[in-house]
Amino acid sequence: MAEPMKIRAKMEGEFADVKVLMSHPMETGQRKNEKGELVPVHFIQSVIASHNGKTVLDIQWSQAIARNPFLGFRVKGAKAGDKIAIDWTDTAGDKSSIETTVGA
Amino acid sequence: MRNPHAATRAAPAATIFLPDWLAALLMLALACPAPVAAEATPTSGKIAPLELQRSAAPGWQRQKVDSQGSSWPQTDWTGYSTVAAIATPGPNGPLHFETPVTGDAARGRQLAFDRARGGSCVACHVMGKDTPPQPGNVGPDLSTIGAMRDDAWLFNYVYDPRTQNANSIMPPWGAHRLFNVAEIRDIVAFLKTLKTPYHNSDPQDDPATRSPPRDTRDNLDPTENPAMFALDRGKELFDKPGAGGKSCASCHRAPESSFKIWAARMPRFEPRLKRVLGVEEFITRHARVTTGEELPMQGADNIALSVYLHNLANGETIQPDLSSTGARKAAQSGMALMQRKLGQLNMACIDCHTKERHAFKWARGQYLVESRGTVAHFPTWRTSRGDIWDIRKRFQWCNVSVRANDLPPDAREYGEIEMALATINKGEKINSPGIRH
Repeated sequence: MAEPMKIRAKMEGEFADVKVLMSHPMETGQRKNEKGELVPVHFIQSVIASHNGKTVLDIQWSQAIARNPFLGFRVKGAKAGDKIAIDWTDTAGDKSSIETTVGA
Repeated sequence: MRNPHAATRAAPAATIFLPDWLAALLMLALACPAPVAAEATPTSGKIAPLELQRSAAPGWQRQKVDSQGSSWPQTDWTGYSTVAAIATPGPNGPLHFETPVTGDAARGRQLAFDRARGGSCVACHVMGKDTPPQPGNVGPDLSTIGAMRDDAWLFNYVYDPRTQNANSIMPPWGAHRLFNVAEIRDIVAFLKTLKTPYHNSDPQDDPATRSPPRDTRDNLDPTENPAMFALDRGKELFDKPGAGGKSCASCHRAPESSFKIWAARMPRFEPRLKRVLGVEEFITRHARVTTGEELPMQGADNIALSVYLHNLANGETIQPDLSSTGARKAAQSGMALMQRKLGQLNMACIDCHTKERHAFKWARGQYLVESRGTVAHFPTWRTSRGDIWDIRKRFQWCNVSVRANDLPPDAREYGEIEMALATINKGEKINSPGIRH
């Protein structure tokens, strides 16, 4: 099931300031549940941010990233009305994507 | 030196000064059964169908790990009072000293500064020039206590302060077996070495001048508050048909207008159950007989719907309905429960959360707030726990924090406290989902 995401992008000077909040358990594989069993590893592995279809950020994540990851970055050369998209893939092969338009 | 922030919060000199909880109690006592205002409720004039027999949190047990996998204190504190029952034995008098008290001051110092033991003395006291960072100020500065008090007084005060000062909120360290007699002797030996006044040169380390934490996050910014995911989920669940084929929306059309004030009038006294229902328990019991969905309290879906329904009332002021005798009695019981000493640490809600006692001071590195201003943001995202808490989960956490057994979320006593808090918070604006550390 695709987990939801929240995104917000707006111009700040010559940059587009992008904030993304992802909903994901980011299980490290180290945690035990109430029965004392290990919870299997399950985390977002790859995050790709694109600006008008062109990749501007390609990240490999690990267990070190917390639950419900927050990602903030700035895109140089973007302008109001441009499209910013985020695509992630996790260790279970689940994918999620979201797109927004850069606000003024 | 006074905390400048605390000073701005002091009551204006001209007003008659009453503690919030006392003022609320008086208000309750004076309240005449006012005519019930004809307000637009979700189903005006009709009595909401509720399932009345079963638990709203079936299978609940005191947990070791919460729904997000964070650890939850699990010690069994049977033998100490809970909000459900008084069990703590009374003080048994100053019996436990031999003077002079001999002990190992170095070992005592270690115990006094050890944050793993009972929160440590520095959680609430400044203790001379060796005080570790971030001491508290709920208790007095002890930097010169060794020059002020004799051995017997010190020993007995640490063993059980109730024997010497009825107003002390300090845990009875000896009587409640947090430290044994030999350890208390060592602590007393250390206290006797404290004779020199101490002033912390860093204003942020001195609890008297440290700035209170200010949360500048926008709780309704979806990229800031993970609870906003639950708001979407709640909206979705509201429209989703349950086992019986009907959804919430089948009966409650236009929830934006019909639920504009609903959550701000909760909790409410429910005559059919003869106790107080909060939003979350209401959801469980109402859904069972309408949509057929089972939404146990503190389950993710129940909380998501609670977030949605609270959010619809954002900006509305909390106005609990105290027109019935049952509601007023429940609020009064709640006020009384807030004065009950709970758990191994022997603390009452009012000890830390009224300005007459210790609100706006520091304990255990945390800033204590008063009870007004604490409920309007629930359910709330807790960044330190990675979870959304409804108000009842907050009560459970308060209980285990003073080392008292927590109760199931649908406990009558929690309803009474929720009603008392709604009374104290009357006029506060709903702003949900909140975000707190």
